[in-house]
Amino acid sequence: MSLDSDAAALRKIPLFRGVDDQKLRLLAFLSERVRFEAGENIVVEGDFGDTAYIILSGSADVMVSSPQGEQLVATVKENDFVGEIAILIDVPRTATVRATNEVTALAVSKEHFFKLLTNFPDMAVEVMRALAHRLERTTREFSRLRAALTDG
Amino acid sequence: MERTLFGFIWRYSKRQQIVILAMTVISFPILYMTLELPKWIVNDAISGSDFPKQFMGYELGQIPYLIALCCVFLGLVILNNAVKYFLNIYKGVSGERMLRRLRYMLYNYVLRFPLSRFRKVSGGEIIPMITAEVEDVGVFIGEAIATPAFQGGTLLVYIVFIFAQDPFLGAAAISLYPLQAYVIPKLQRRVILLTRDRIKNVRVISDRIAETVNAAADIHANDTSRYHLADLSDRLFINYRIRLAIFRRKFMIKFLNNFLNQLPPFFFYSVGGILVIQGQMTFGALVAVLAAYKDLASPWKELLNWYQNLANVTVKYQTVVENFDVDDAIAHDKLQGSDTASIELENTEIKLSNISVSSGGSGLAVVDVSLEAKDGSHIAVYGRDGSGRTELLLAAAGLLEPVAGRATFGGRRFEELPHTVVSRYLSYVGNDPFIFNDSIRGNVIYALKTKPQTRLDQDDASDEDIAKIRHNEASLTGNSLLDVTEPWEDYERAGVESPAQLDDRLLQLFSLVGLEGDLYRLGLAAHLDSDLDSAFVDKILTARAEVARRAAEDKNWAGLVELWSSGQFNNSATLGENILFAVPSDPTRSVWDAANDPVVRGALKDAGILEMLVEMGATVAETMIELFADTGADASLIGDHSFVTNDELPLFEQRLRRYRQKGKKAEDDTTKKKKKMGLTEEDIAAFVGLAFRLIPGRHRILTLTEEQEKKLIAARAPVHATLEGNSAYALFAEDAYIAPLSIEENILFGKPRVDRRGASDRIDAFLRDTVNELGLREAIARAGLNFEVGVAGGRLSATQRRRIGLVRALVKRPSILIFDAVADGDRALMSRIVEAGNGHTLIVGTADPQVAKTLETVAVMRDGRLVATGGWDSVQQIAIDGASVDLEKEAS
Repeated sequence: MSLDSDAAALRKIPLFRGVDDQKLRLLAFLSERVRFEAGENIVVEGDFGDTAYIILSGSADVMVSSPQGEQLVATVKENDFVGEIAILIDVPRTATVRATNEVTALAVSKEHFFKLLTNFPDMAVEVMRALAHRLERTTREFSRLRAALTDG
Repeated sequence: MERTLFGFIWRYSKRQQIVILAMTVISFPILYMTLELPKWIVNDAISGSDFPKQFMGYELGQIPYLIALCCVFLGLVILNNAVKYFLNIYKGVSGERMLRRLRYMLYNYVLRFPLSRFRKVSGGEIIPMITAEVEDVGVFIGEAIATPAFQGGTLLVYIVFIFAQDPFLGAAAISLYPLQAYVIPKLQRRVILLTRDRIKNVRVISDRIAETVNAAADIHANDTSRYHLADLSDRLFINYRIRLAIFRRKFMIKFLNNFLNQLPPFFFYSVGGILVIQGQMTFGALVAVLAAYKDLASPWKELLNWYQNLANVTVKYQTVVENFDVDDAIAHDKLQGSDTASIELENTEIKLSNISVSSGGSGLAVVDVSLEAKDGSHIAVYGRDGSGRTELLLAAAGLLEPVAGRATFGGRRFEELPHTVVSRYLSYVGNDPFIFNDSIRGNVIYALKTKPQTRLDQDDASDEDIAKIRHNEASLTGNSLLDVTEPWEDYERAGVESPAQLDDRLLQLFSLVGLEGDLYRLGLAAHLDSDLDSAFVDKILTARAEVARRAAEDKNWAGLVELWSSGQFNNSATLGENILFAVPSDPTRSVWDAANDPVVRGALKDAGILEMLVEMGATVAETMIELFADTGADASLIGDHSFVTNDELPLFEQRLRRYRQKGKKAEDDTTKKKKKMGLTEEDIAAFVGLAFRLIPGRHRILTLTEEQEKKLIAARAPVHATLEGNSAYALFAEDAYIAPLSIEENILFGKPRVDRRGASDRIDAFLRDTVNELGLREAIARAGLNFEVGVAGGRLSATQRRRIGLVRALVKRPSILIFDAVADGDRALMSRIVEAGNGHTLIVGTADPQVAKTLETVAVMRDGRLVATGGWDSVQQIAIDGASVDLEKEAS
């Protein structure tokens, strides 16, 4: 349990891949290490959140409510980033994340994250790059699906 | 009040002035003797002959005679100075007493101002009048008669002496006095006018400053600070100009005086010289006249000073007094509570017959309104702000005198009734009741403090003496004879017998007005320090034990808090708290401030952990520099999150360099122990302070090994041994109430786990349950009564302030309760007040139809006139529609 190990965990997140080591340590210092018991909700669908979590150990289920009840859509584990959309734009949480065993995570608040971005523009560029990658991937996925639909 | 300063002085200090004058006269011969005796000593004793001489019946030789005369001289010197000392003290005492009397009279006038006057004068103007402006008056009063008498007498003696030598030269010596007597007052008159301007200007400055303090939020919101700076700058410039003009004239007067004083020697040398040469005058006489003339200058100067002082002080006195001595002051005996008990009212009905009330400006706020409040009736005065509602209520409470019509209470006009009688039956709460800078309790029982209560237990003798002196001084200066230190709370008025019962009653009233929850929350955050009630402490400790039990049994709960335990390290608390196992007794000091205390550092050293802490502090400093300085983070980021402020960063860099260098050197010497020797005590304190701030569970700057934790915990015992009995620290113990911690922290006796989200909320909920189960809620709400509300209740919300005002009105069990807009927007509160009232009359000003509905009679006010009276249903049409018509009119 130290800043170094937390910074190392941050490094593994694609969003932060290009960011300086020192700045990641600062982000690690500003964020809090939190613990969740098995069965505890890390984020709840529909809530407005201002915190994103980087899972350091343990795993959690991502559930989305549907007319048929909650549905498991994914599981997250070590080094996964959860709830990052909420710290970038103000939208309700899109899914519930529930710990399946004891989870330790790094909580990054919106406030700190934005403070860092305004302080270090090169970090903002890296974040932008990561988001663009994700958008590109999503768009490609979307076109593929549409093509599949029109074919079918 | 006397319009002139001398009128005031003569009326109140006749005797003292005569004593001062008499003592001054007595000091003359003594002074004369001290001047005369040296001549004897020189002429008779030292260069005299025909010894032995007679001295008080003894025959003395030359040397004994000399010694005897010298002893007499010494005695006279002592006597002279003793008289002077006594005289000065006496003057000082008289002056101070007069000053006290003057200030008291002025303050008394402030209390007697009719309410309408406070719309025109501000505190900012009145404060300097009573405090600074009259200060000089007090100093002057001791000198008022003595100085002119003494200096004038001296002057006269010298002049007579000169005349005796030669009438012509005498005439020359005083020849310019008439000129001075003509010119100087002329100049002085101008100075007086300027002084008036200056005083008025300073009052404006003081008023502006007071306004700035009150308007701080609006100034910042409107970004008008530059305007205010320019405004004050202009005022200060005017002040400078006036002062410069005063200086110029003042020193011109001095210059004239000096010049005219030095002219006569010209005549002495020229005319006197010729006379001597011609043999019409002896040389000795000329020398004597010159010497005498030189002595003339000093008393003349003193007289002039006194004259200037007099002019200055007279202006000040007049400019102050003219502001206070107003014609429409409330009669003195209306405020005095004595012998009014005889006035018994047959009923407590308020009857307003065709009254009109001035709006303070030229118009009328209330026009020709008649209203009757029978005993036990409930009346709403419904109207918008500016409808005359507030003024009507003030008139009904007897606080605003109508300009026409009759306002009676119990069949007698309000003007005839002293305040004591009115306030015994009637409570009034305005829209914005004033909240004093006191506790909540103090603000509420304020209503019970109308006169000191006879105390049951007589105090011990030592107190009695000072009380006697206080009483004596008060009667000498016409001050209040009532003792403010005596208990003033009138329990009987509140219908209770003891302070504890009063608290119960207050809690009932606070529940009634819906403030009980607020009190409870304030109570949880309250610090109990002095008067710890042992039963209450026991309950808190029981609650603490309950929390601990729960934590031991319930795993969920245990995951939320880390409780303090003497043998365990608390990861959610700072290292400082962990090591000291104590907090500073002053709740405003943080635990890391303790690192600056040499006693604490000494204890740490004795416990053998000082070096470890310095090392930790150095690591923290290193991390801070790396995270914040090296990354080039901006000030806001550093300010919010760093342990080290922006300014301190370079300082810590130096410290760290020193520390590391010494460390290297020490390693070379292979005596690691000397490592920290290169650091000053200040450096060590700074490093330990950083280490103390560390919360291991949150700031993951360094990881404590189990061994280190053990070592730190082991230090608790020796540290406690050192700090035991040190009043600056409150030591933790499971079975003790820790005064500097709030009640909530005392019950919890631990920290919410830093690594659990939302732990605090869940803990709050749990504490609420525990507190309710143990019946502690009331006791905690009671602690909330001790909450200090800040200047003008600034730490409370406007609603809270109004409700405290309401409790203040209710606590004295009035027969008639009048309040204005306090319940607006809260119909439930209004219903509770109506229900709780046991037959008392209610007159409620409101702009809220929901509140008006609750009361049986509604009087609708519009544009200063009473437009309808009756049940809500019957007046609703007029009240609501009329108002909407008004609104439409305004809109079009």
